[in-house]
Amino acid sequence: MRYVDEFRDAALGRALAGEILGAVEPGRHVKVMEVCGGHTHSIYKYGVDDLLPENVELVHGPGCPVCVIPMGRVDDGIAIAREPGVILTCFGDMMRVPGSTGTLLEAKAQGADVRMVYSPLDALRIAKANPDREVVFFAIGFETTAPSTALTLKRARAEGVTNFSCFCNHVTIVPPLRALLDSPDLRLDGFIGPGHVCTVVGARPLEFICADYSKPVVVSGFEPVDILQSVLMILRQLADGRSAVENQYRRVVPYEGNLRALEVMAEVFALRPHFEWRGLGFISHSGLKLSDDYAELDAERRFAVPGVRVADPKACQCGEVLKGVIKPFECKVFGSACTPERPIGTCMVSSEGACAAYYNYGRFARERVVV
Amino acid sequence: MSCDDAHCITCGDDGEPERVLAIDEARGLALCQGQDGARESVEIALVAPLTVGDTVLVHAGTALARLTDADVVV
Repeated sequence: MRYVDEFRDAALGRALAGEILGAVEPGRHVKVMEVCGGHTHSIYKYGVDDLLPENVELVHGPGCPVCVIPMGRVDDGIAIAREPGVILTCFGDMMRVPGSTGTLLEAKAQGADVRMVYSPLDALRIAKANPDREVVFFAIGFETTAPSTALTLKRARAEGVTNFSCFCNHVTIVPPLRALLDSPDLRLDGFIGPGHVCTVVGARPLEFICADYSKPVVVSGFEPVDILQSVLMILRQLADGRSAVENQYRRVVPYEGNLRALEVMAEVFALRPHFEWRGLGFISHSGLKLSDDYAELDAERRFAVPGVRVADPKACQCGEVLKGVIKPFECKVFGSACTPERPIGTCMVSSEGACAAYYNYGRFARERVVV
Repeated sequence: MSCDDAHCITCGDDGEPERVLAIDEARGLALCQGQDGARESVEIALVAPLTVGDTVLVHAGTALARLTDADVVV
């Protein structure tokens, strides 16, 4: 496919690495956060880190939808799955996220009817094929995924599918970024913006990072050349003393986003007063619930949901990893008690999680450096 | 489009360019084909109107954007 090969071109990558070397201010340590887990995955998979000078550090952000789900919400999902007659549907990685008493996959092994789907539309199809069962879709994800859930709920209503409902855990990207920027733990110089979230919301919602915090932002694609180019654009802004939202991913992201998607989200969802994020705590107006107009499709109103907050395991340092305060390998249980096969923390579950990405790709690079 | 142990593209906020093979306007769906040759029904309400041969960016079974650049070929 064209436009993939070009953005994985090794010669282009090396040329950009040279330009980055020339653009970085000598003696200055620059910390750039890639917000999206998809970027984290690409950085490790393609060894983008290895092409950067030592004083340009990539810090992994909270943009992995699976990694930010708190244990209590997993427990709620398992409780719904164990209700008589329920089929609980969810995306693949969600099945392996640990709650306080196990995962959805383990609940399935114990008899609950939990099924993996590729899209909310698949979940609706299961509902239509099983009219005598209650089918619940465990919705997770940022603004990239929320429109898909919203459209499916509209479709369910239009088609009169009454045995379908949604356990909504959608989150929004701006509030956690503001929380990170307000955190005294972290000093960041710039942001690689989440390309696919911006396909929906546009680049404008990120302007506050420049206006209020004077940090450069570059909305980026997901191929290695995209990421290198975005780092270079951030370094050039820093060298010029500028802070603006720039769009490296113009081949996909319109600056204003997808207005129809925003309209359908506004119709189907409402902001929660606050929502808990794994490791980050409660963040105001950061989660979505179904609007009153769609209350009849809300699984939290249809089923008894425990809603109990569960503290993260003490050994787990996902919070610090999600905030970029520590690197994955600095966590006490990384690679020993916590592995992709038996994760303790959410960052080790999804391959977009910083820990899993580092475990799968980056640990070899670190071993090489140590030797 | 895979959601196997190695990589859950929906959880990863991935978007996949797919080519439109057929359109069912009455149902608001299109049959699309990804790079790996797999076909799926895709919700097209956010990007309609489409024509057969268009390339769309698909995430979680929904087309989020129509890729208009002539160089994008699946």
